[in-house]
Parts: sequence; structure tokens; C-alpha cells
Amino acid sequence: MTAASSLARPAPGGPHSRGGGVRARRSAASTLRYAALIAGAVVMVTPFVYMVSTSFKSQAYVLTVPPQFIPNPATTDNYTQALTTQDFGLYFLNSAVVAVISTALSVLLSSMMAYGFARYRFPGRELIFRILLIGLVVPAMMLIIPQFVLAKNLGLLDSLAGLVVFYVAGSLALNTFLLRGFFEAIPEELDQAMQVDGAGAFTRYWRLALPLAKPALATATIFTFLATWDEFVWSLTIINSPAHRTLPVAIKLFQGQNATQWGLVFAASLLAVIPVVVVFLVFQRYFVQGLTTGAVKG
Amino acid sequence: MKRPTSILAAASATVAVALLAAGCSSGAGGGGSDDGSVTLTFWGSYGNGGNSTQQDALNKTLIPAFEKENPGIKIEYVDIPYDDLLQKLTTSAAGGELPDLVRADLGWVPQLADLGVLVPLSDKLDGFQKLADATYPGSLSTNLYDGKYYGLPLDTNTRVLITDQKALDAAGMSAPPATFADVEKMADALQGTGMSVFADGGLGGWNLFPWMWSGGGEVTNDDLTKASGFLDGSKSVAAVQMLVDLYKKGQIPNLITGNQGATGTSDGLPGGQYATILDGPWMKGIWSGQYPDFQPIYAPVPAGDGGSVSVVGGEDIVLTNSSKNQDAAMKFIEFTQTEQFQVEMAKTGQMTVIPAFADQQAAIDPYYETFSTQLKTAKSRLAIPQSSQVDTILNTELTPAFEGSTTVQDALTKAAEQIDALLADGK
Amino acid sequence: MTLTLADQDVTVPEADSASGTARPVRPAPSRSAALRRVAVPYLFIAPGVLLFAVAILYPIVQAVTMSFFDWKIVAGAVSEWVGLDNYARAMADPHFWQSLANSGIYMLFTVPPQIVLGLAIALLLKRKSPVQPLFRVLYYLPVVTSWVVVSLLFKYLFADRGLVNFTLGDFLHLMHGDVSWLSGRWTALIAICALGVWKGIGWSMMIFLAALQGVPQSLEEAATMDGAGRWQRFRAVTLPAIWPAALFVTVMLVIGGFNVFTSVLVMTGEAPADRPMSSSPTCTRRRSPSSTSATAPLWRSSSPCSCSCSP
Repeated sequence: MTAASSLARPAPGGPHSRGGGVRARRSAASTLRYAALIAGAVVMVTPFVYMVSTSFKSQAYVLTVPPQFIPNPATTDNYTQALTTQDFGLYFLNSAVVAVISTALSVLLSSMMAYGFARYRFPGRELIFRILLIGLVVPAMMLIIPQFVLAKNLGLLDSLAGLVVFYVAGSLALNTFLLRGFFEAIPEELDQAMQVDGAGAFTRYWRLALPLAKPALATATIFTFLATWDEFVWSLTIINSPAHRTLPVAIKLFQGQNATQWGLVFAASLLAVIPVVVVFLVFQRYFVQGLTTGAVKG
Repeated sequence: MKRPTSILAAASATVAVALLAAGCSSGAGGGGSDDGSVTLTFWGSYGNGGNSTQQDALNKTLIPAFEKENPGIKIEYVDIPYDDLLQKLTTSAAGGELPDLVRADLGWVPQLADLGVLVPLSDKLDGFQKLADATYPGSLSTNLYDGKYYGLPLDTNTRVLITDQKALDAAGMSAPPATFADVEKMADALQGTGMSVFADGGLGGWNLFPWMWSGGGEVTNDDLTKASGFLDGSKSVAAVQMLVDLYKKGQIPNLITGNQGATGTSDGLPGGQYATILDGPWMKGIWSGQYPDFQPIYAPVPAGDGGSVSVVGGEDIVLTNSSKNQDAAMKFIEFTQTEQFQVEMAKTGQMTVIPAFADQQAAIDPYYETFSTQLKTAKSRLAIPQSSQVDTILNTELTPAFEGSTTVQDALTKAAEQIDALLADGK
Repeated sequence: MTLTLADQDVTVPEADSASGTARPVRPAPSRSAALRRVAVPYLFIAPGVLLFAVAILYPIVQAVTMSFFDWKIVAGAVSEWVGLDNYARAMADPHFWQSLANSGIYMLFTVPPQIVLGLAIALLLKRKSPVQPLFRVLYYLPVVTSWVVVSLLFKYLFADRGLVNFTLGDFLHLMHGDVSWLSGRWTALIAICALGVWKGIGWSMMIFLAALQGVPQSLEEAATMDGAGRWQRFRAVTLPAIWPAALFVTVMLVIGGFNVFTSVLVMTGEAPADRPMSSSPTCTRRRSPSSTSATAPLWRSSSPCSCSCSP
């Protein structure tokens, strides 16, 4: 986040010429790099592959010894059952609506807050920021009952709005914390230059700070989307009508009172992972752009 | 470009208005509507892990039948994951937002009654006694708290011994073990086969009491005031000692002491790891879907000095005092005690709580017979608000006894002392 | 957690004083314009702060208040003031200390690996290449999967007849016979920590990747020109630049470590009280006022459903 200094500096010229020995060493290093990455990826992905494989097994083959990596016999029953026994499509949609709106609102509100904290000095600034940080350390479970009563008094029970309001509130602290540092890293000179051109505070936030903080905004977006998409306890607590049910609760319903069908739970979970992976794929490319490109060079 | 400040002002005003508007709309959900009809909300866990037959019977057959008979009353059933139902009930109670009716695990009724959120049906429901008398006494007793009945049994179940031919063949037996002695004999025969004679998933009352009662032991005195001298009486100790001996011989897997990594009983029996388990009537449906080739054999709990005595499980239906339509709700409670309701649910694996319908139930599937017979002598666990703590105490104290670091007698004496304190608290 | 963190925004050399509002650029501001300038920062933070105050802060205050009462759950019931009684009881409860110890051990074994490995992967992935996005997704997959699911998955992998025992025993012949990973305190901690690290690496990798975008390339080049080695460059250039991010990751992981809950419950949950086969014993299963978690007193009084997170 000391990027400030680097950004102010002009970018260096083209790559410097190097000798052939260096090139050979570089390719060896590159091979090593890939080897390490692949080894790590295998460890990361194996449990996942096993989960995918299990989602295509019937219960009788879930616990066989030796474990089967390639399901035999393979079945798509789990997916059929996941998609048909409940109103899976509706719950999917509910989760998507809640996650998208919550993420958008949260990133907007917390980036505004972060900008306020980063760019201005005003009475109460650090105090308010510190109080905000309390939100990071309090376990959600502790607040369930007071929040439930509050939601009731606000008429937010059993509604998607009730999910959005508390999801946004719950994610503000982390996002503001995350974004503040990035905004502070944006060189002051740029701000001043825009101001001389007559740009107001909001324009500077919207036109300058936000585009420059793309990697941080992408991170906040991914984290918030994931958290809201996945949230279970609050959703279970305030939602009653099946029409407003979200995906994690629906998946939990697949774990019966008397037995768990692993294949079914995994199949439903894998279906639920897809949107998060999509969001990740879409937003992660902003890491590649971001600070180093953007307004500074251009 | 607009002035930034005005945009911000507009944004914050929007948030404020949204909050205010939300605040004004509160207080909805009284259950009444313009045409004078009432809607009752009914929470339960009929969903049963993706197996929708129970929910279908309720939503597609029984509720429509009730609504037809009682114009103006609508029932909205909401399925909630079993593991989370009690938590949701508690939070909702704090907000005064409970549904009208709940299908509660029988262990929860005293606890909910203790919170003061239930309507005592024995006071409020006309003809309660007649309905109550028709049910199994063991099931009914789970609704009793502080001298009043807070619910009626909705469905029941009990544990019986389940085995299969493969296991009997491995032990060279012609019939399932009928006595404690048979179990020990079977264990000796299975030594070295890699199959354990018995497996269970814990050391709570649900798991242990059948062995204690069948062995002739007791858990508490009849007034539910004392466990010392009963839970740690010689016959209770002997029953548990038998299990500990089998455990030490490797004939009971450490699933019983809480190893979450051990194969569960519902997979271990059909998989040939375990020779016998104690389990309930729901297993049939689970196995028929997951292990189509598995042919379970059902038999009574092995008998000891006390005969064959199992433990009552099941659910009760209770009415919350936040219900605004208690009369309508009591009509539905009465409906759940009818032949139509009980027999229809029996078809989906929910056993009837009314002995008079046992024959019809056996006609649906003969295997119910074993369970109905077992129910005649089955007992219920301690009907106290802290009943789940009893399970925690038993698990905590007895695990060392199984692992060999203390004796069964000492463990049960310590457990009994703690349960005494709970019983004293509950009064 | 130390709040000094708020001040470690090191980065900007006195950014605040330089901000436009402090030094009017255009001449002769009117009174209302001056007022507006004072209001600007508050307008930026107002919507968020307002929402935070209502939906988080107010419930926190209530929860803390509740912890001083023998709280009656039901709406309208009168609760009795007990002062620090709930806290005293937690302090006297051995479960509380054990779960605190477990939290400490958990953090010790999960936080450093997540930071080191997350940073290492981020460094490896920093350079652009066609396969880079693929690797990012692969490393990030565990993060996007819900805790409940990955806990079930790891429980399944570490089961007596699970993949771990199979790999170590039958495949690699590193051990003889099956280990009941989830039944012993230490072996269960290994499994839980393995899950924590596995699930968390992708998260810290993300933060480090974002932070590495801010590392001045010119400095790296300059250091290379000066003949600095890889390690020297890392220490002199990269590390200082990503230091705030590293602090951020550390703080978040420590907080997360303290709140670890689902994985412990799912993987080692004690024998369920009632039906034997439910494989996800949750909170409700182990209702017991005497049991505690790291946040015991608050938790205990605010909900009758408290769980001890001791493996």
C-alpha cells in the first residue's frame, strides 16, 4: 500500500537486455515455479475432485474401500434429485438477488465510507473508525437474538429485504477496512489536480478513487458476494415462507434427521458453487489491471 | 454533473426512508385476512433429507382434507432442517414470532414449556383426556411438564434390534440374538471376522437406556427426583459393563464414544461392518433407496433381567401461546389424532401413536409389528427441560469408562450426582 | 485486537491535511460553501455509519446488556440482573479454558501457514501468464465452498475408512492400520487445522495478490540492477510494500481463528443427543448452559443454545 510512491514515479522503460545464462536460469526457475504451483494445486483440488466424484455415486458406493475416484456405477440421480425435490430454481434466484443487491450496496456504502476516512480529517474520524472495527470481532451468533428482535420491529422478518439490510450492515466493517488503505495509497497529487480542474468531492471519489482502487473493489466484491451467497444462520432464522428461502437453507434440508445422503448434499453444494466461481472469474481479472494501469500511466 | 453533496444527501435520505418505511410496515402476519379465514403456520421437519414422501402426504393429502372439512382455516406447513429447528424456535420465541403449531421432538416439549411459550392442552383443549387416553402412555408422558400436558403425541417410534442374514451366517446363528447372553455368544463367534457384534452412535439416553432397562436397571426413581441409587444401581452398571467388555474386546467400534470418523450405523450394517444395531422404523425407507439389495431383519431389543425394554422416540404436536387463532389450531391438533391422519402418515414411515390403529399399520407393512410390540413396553427418557444435558453428562462421564481410565460404577455414580442436581433444578 | 491498526495507514504521508477541504483552493468561499465543505466527509460516511449503528452496534449493546442478566428468552418476560455472574461462571468452567486453549492452538497452527503459503502462492502467481487465471481459480475453490460443505467433506476424508487413511496406509504404507483421526483431541486438531489451512490459503493469496499490484516495479528493477538477489529484493522491496496487507491478513485470520466453529462442530461434534445418525450435530444438539465458547458469557446469556467448541 506504499504504492503511493511508486505511482508517482514514472514507469521504467522497456526490459533491460540480459545475457543468455540468465535466460537459461530463468527458464529453469520458471519450470520450478510451475512444478510448485501444480503440486499445490493438486493438494487443493483433490478433496474437491473427490467431492465431484462422490456427487455421481449412489449411497452404497460412497464409503467403499478402496475409495473410488471414478464412480462406478456413475449416476446423475443426485443431481436430478437436488434439482427436483425442492424448488431449487427459486431458491437459487432468491440467493442470487440477495447476494447481488447486498454486494452492490455494501461495496458502494463501504467505499464511500472508506473514501471519507481516507481523504478527510474531521472530528471523530478515528473514533468512528475504531467503533466500526468492533464489527469485525463480534461473532455473528452473539447478535442473533437482538438482531431478530430488531428485524421484527422494522418489519423485515420473512423478507429478502431483511437479509439484504443485515448482510450489508454486517459486511461494512471488513470492506471499509479493506478499502481505506487502498484509497490512502492513491497519490494526493491526483486529487489536487482534479480539484484544480473544478471537480467536486463526489466526482473525485467516483471518477478517480474508485477506478484506481479496482483490485481492492474486486476483492471486496468477491468476499461480499461469497459471504452473502453462503450465509445460513440469519437466513434460517428470519425466513419462514418457502417462497423466500435461500440456497444454503435448502441444501441443509438435504441433510436428514436420520441419515445424510453424501452424494445428494455434494451435488447440491456443487450446483451452488457455480455462481461464486463465475463471480470470482469475472472480478479477478481486475487484479491484473488495477493500480499499475489506470489513470496514473494514461 | 450534479453536486456531489446533493447526491449523497439523496442517498442517505433514501436509506433513512427505506428504514422508516420498513418500520411502518411491521406488525404484519396476524394470520387473519379480509375474508375472515385464518391461516395457521405449522413448523416441522417432515422433509427428512430429500425424501419428500412425508411432506407430500401432509401437503397433498392431509392438509387439503382438513381444509375441506374446516372451511376458513388454512394450514401453511414450513419445513425446517431438523438440526436447526430448536435454535430457530428459541430465537423466534425471543422475538414473540413463533408459529401456531410445532411438530416438536418429544425431548423439546418440557424445554419449550419451561420457557413458557406453550399452551397447556390439558387445560385448554376440550376432550383432551379422551384423546390422551387413546395414545401410547409412553408417548403421552413426554408431554407432561409440571403437572400439565403441553402437547399430544403426533408420531412415535422406538428402537429395535436390526441385523441381516449375512451377519447371522457369519456368527453361525439361526436367529437374531434375543438375550444379553446371545449377544455375548455372538460376539465370541464373530471374533476375528472383522465384523463387530454391535454398533451405536453415542452414549446418551437414547443409546444406553434400552440396555439399562432391559437389564433390569432404572435411570431415576418414579418421581423424577433422584438418579443416584438408580442410574448407578447394580443392574444398570452391569448392563453398561457388558457393553464396555464388548468394546474392550473390539466388538463394539469407537463410534459409540463419539468418533465422528467411524462408519455410521446406517452404512455399517448394510456394509457388513456391524452385525447388529438398534434403530428406528425410518431406516427401512433410507435403505430401500440407498442399499436396494439389503434385507434387514428386525427383532426385539435383546432381553436381560428386565425383559426387552426399549426407548420411546417420536414427535409431539404443540400449540404456542403466541398463536392468535388457538381454537382453529386446536381443531388441527384434533385432526392429527384421527384415523385418517395417523394411518396416512404411517404409510410414509411415521408410526401411529394410537394403539387402536396398530393393526391397520401392520397391514401396510408387516415389519411395523416388531416396532408396535416393542412400543408396548418402551419407556420415555427423562421429561425435564434439561434432558439434552443428561445426554451430555452420560457421554462425558462414560467415555473414560469405555476407554478404560475409570470404572463403569464410578462413572455412573458421578453422572447420577450431576443428574440429581438437574432434577432438583427442574422443580 | 489492538486498535492501533487503524493508525497504521502509514502509507500516506499526512494525506489528510492535504485533502482539498482543509485548504480552500478557490478564493472567497461563501458561508454556505464552507459549511458544505465541513459536511462533505460526514456525508460520505453517513449512510454506512447509520446502517452500521442500527443493525450492528445497537444489537451489540443489547447483547452486552443481556450478558449481565439471567436472561429470559421469551419476549416480555422479566429478566434478573446478575451482574458479572455469567462471566464468573464461565471463568470457573474448565470447558471455557479448554476451548480457549484449543482456539490458541488452532491459531498457532493455522495462521502462520496460511500467511506463508498464501504469500508464496501469490508471489508465484504474480507474473502474468496464460495459465495464471486457472491456478487462481484452483487455489480459490476451497474458499468459495461453504464451511458446512467443506467440513462435511473433510470429515468424510478423515473418516476411519476415508481417503486419508487409505492414502497413508494402503497406498503409501506410512502407517499400519486405520487411525481414528476425529476421536482423539490431537489427531482431531490435526484434521481441523488441515481444513483451516486448506480453506484459508486462497483467501490470503487473494489479498496478497491485490497488494502485490501495488509493489513499485521500478524499485524492483532498480534493486535488480544493483545486483540484489531474489531474497534481498523480497526483503527490501516487496515485504515493506505489502506489510500493511500482511497485517490485515494476520488480524483477519486471528479473528477468524477465534470464531472457528462450524468445522469443529461438524467434525468432532459429540454424539448427538437424540437420533444417532444425523451427521451434522449443530448447536441445538448440545444445549447446555454450562458449556461455553470463547465468547462464553455473552453467548451463554443471549441464547440458550451455546456450544462448547472443544474438540
